[in-house]
Amino acid sequence: MDDRNIQFMFWGLATAWGLLAIYVVMLAAREGRLRKQLESLKRMIEEKQ
Amino acid sequence: MTKNIRLGLGVLVGLLLLRNLYVILFNLPDEMEQGPIYRIFYYHLPAFFAAIVCYITALVASSLYLMKKNLRYDAIAMAATEVGLAFAAVNLITGMIWGRISWGIWWAWDARLTWALICWLVYFGYLMLRQAIDDPTERAKNSAVLSIFAFVSVAITYKAIEWWRTQHPGPVLSIRTGQQLIDPVMENMLYMNFLALATLAVLMVIIRLNQEEMQRQIDGLRRRAHAI
Amino acid sequence: MVFLQIAAKDLRSELRTKESLNASLSFAVVILLLFSFAFDPSSEAVAEFSGGLLWLVFAFAGALILNRSFARELPNDCLEVLIASPVSGAQLFLGKTIASFVLLLIIEVICLPIFGIFYDITWLPQALPLLGIFALGTWGMTVLGTLFSALTVNLSLRELMLPMLLYPLMLPALMAAMRLTTILLAGNAIGGGDIVWLRLLIGFDIIFTALSLALVETILVR
Repeated sequence: MDDRNIQFMFWGLATAWGLLAIYVVMLAAREGRLRKQLESLKRMIEEKQ
Repeated sequence: MTKNIRLGLGVLVGLLLLRNLYVILFNLPDEMEQGPIYRIFYYHLPAFFAAIVCYITALVASSLYLMKKNLRYDAIAMAATEVGLAFAAVNLITGMIWGRISWGIWWAWDARLTWALICWLVYFGYLMLRQAIDDPTERAKNSAVLSIFAFVSVAITYKAIEWWRTQHPGPVLSIRTGQQLIDPVMENMLYMNFLALATLAVLMVIIRLNQEEMQRQIDGLRRRAHAI
Repeated sequence: MVFLQIAAKDLRSELRTKESLNASLSFAVVILLLFSFAFDPSSEAVAEFSGGLLWLVFAFAGALILNRSFARELPNDCLEVLIASPVSGAQLFLGKTIASFVLLLIIEVICLPIFGIFYDITWLPQALPLLGIFALGTWGMTVLGTLFSALTVNLSLRELMLPMLLYPLMLPALMAAMRLTTILLAGNAIGGGDIVWLRLLIGFDIIFTALSLALVETILVR
């Protein structure tokens, strides 16, 4: 029983960190995507002008 | 400038989180009845409060939007809701893992859990509604109204442990109960980790806001590109 | 009393075509039928969750009615005209809420005997208190549902978004109505500890009616 207790504690802390990490990764991915879009749009407008 | 602030805040939060994790794992004793599993509370409870703070921010920002019609407030409400959902998810899932050990089941259908889940679904619906509307002012207006309605469920969740008989543990913090129910060392640790998670939430909201600003720039540039 | 005219207008046009009334009534009966396959319909235990079953049916039928509430005005730009007319947003909202309320109550009153026959439930001795609970619960559902109907009327995913937003938020009323209906259908009177649920239901109705009336103007004006 004690084994499972400490195991689940580990999993609990891991999911707490993991979920926040997933959200951070989502944020970073969106940041990258937006930055790329912004760059390509700026380049496009410069070329057209 | 803002980039440096964000970086500084990020480093600070990272260090604080790691320090807290170290103390939680190695410096604090096991709880008498529950054993090691009680350590989940150091994330479960602070994540709940961080989510509540986010939802309150969303409520205030939404009301301000309806009064001032400034899209900046709408962006704040959206960012706070999204970050709040992330923390509420931490709260729900850590709670489930704790419940598996303490109650023997993953999900006890009691009032507190059910209401926390309802809150999550309601605010998820808020994000879905935002996605479905294209016009920025229309979206801001409608989602602000929904956010005000959604907050009712947060208030019920907060009060659920007093209104219904539940198997979820009652309030433990001395600022709410007026008594010292848990060891002050443990209570302090809860506050410390709340500080860490709340700062993390602020940082996330700032980053998300900045992204919204970028999105607006992109939309503007798109329109210009079409015009040329 | 403009809101009564709005309600009368909605009811009249609905009773003329009966499109959403027929659709949601037959939908409700189909769901009542489907439930009989989910569990043993002749068992005694049905009485213990009869209120829950009944309100699930009402909630499904209600979403159909409420979806039409504002969407009905979309063809020929009727909604724009209504908003531009001197009728205030609150009056328009109240009128539409009353219309949906009446329609849904009609469906509920038809469903109840069918439910009683299908699942061998006696409801006649408690008919009056039951009607009271139906009215309170339905008012809560329609007040919130009409507001969300206005909120989602311009969306392409309207049929999906409305129930998704409505069901979680109306849960307090639904919970209370389910509980009270179960008590009444089991042949007991509401009293003692169950008053809490009645209070929850009435409180829900008051809070959300006030909140909706205060906020509906901002939704409609564009």
